[in-house]
Amino acid sequence: MTVRVLVADDARFMRQLIRDIIEPEGFEVVGEAADGRAAVEEFSRLQPDIVTMDIVMPKRSGIDAVKEIIALDPTAKVAMVSALGQEALVTEALQAGASDYIVKPFKPDAVIETLRKLAEKAP
Amino acid sequence: MDLAKYRNLFLEEATEHLAEIGQALLTLEKDSRASAEIDTVFRMMHSMKGMGASLGYDAVSELAHRLEDRLGAWRKRGRIDDEQGVAVLFRGLESLERMVAVVRDTGEAPPPDAELLAALDDPESPKKARRLS
Repeated sequence: MTVRVLVADDARFMRQLIRDIIEPEGFEVVGEAADGRAAVEEFSRLQPDIVTMDIVMPKRSGIDAVKEIIALDPTAKVAMVSALGQEALVTEALQAGASDYIVKPFKPDAVIETLRKLAEKAP
Repeated sequence: MDLAKYRNLFLEEATEHLAEIGQALLTLEKDSRASAEIDTVFRMMHSMKGMGASLGYDAVSELAHRLEDRLGAWRKRGRIDDEQGVAVLFRGLESLERMVAVVRDTGEAPPPDAELLAALDDPESPKKARRLS
């Protein structure tokens, strides 16, 4: 079964990069969001299997968006997208309910492995 | 990675970001407590850092990272509490614009702005960065 992914990042560059890394591996990007508020809205509308969530975004941070998504669906699987130096924010996101994280600049194998692991994880 | 495709995406998005940074800095020049603008410049620098690192444009990612760190501290304090702070950001903007122009003109990774990086490393950096501008 195809794993449906919502990609939330304010940079088109990063959204495209994630899409290009995961789609050839059988994941389907069902939606994109350019800010935290849109990420929550698109999560509600699309009900994806996995969300990739950038931490630094306008309107609502990735961490606040995770909190809202987890409040809507405690079984939601969210992989935070972080940069080096954001370890404290990653910890905060994991405490808020994020399931895992991927680090920029992306290592394609690591991104795919993280998403596969999340896809296989029981809700 | 299709380098040409991502280079074009970088040029497109970086140009937008730098224009947005420039607008925000004009506001910050008048009001150092303009928190929405501090937040905007912080996010744009974060984004420049990520794109630069993804393409191996170390000069872009390193400079954007240093400026993002500065902005992160000002963001927490709710204002740019350093009288030369906005001048440093303008100097950083100029440097990033030159780097993006190098990518546009040559397709190659731009060289670092060693002088500005050294000034940013120095405790007296605001004054030095100002002198460089």
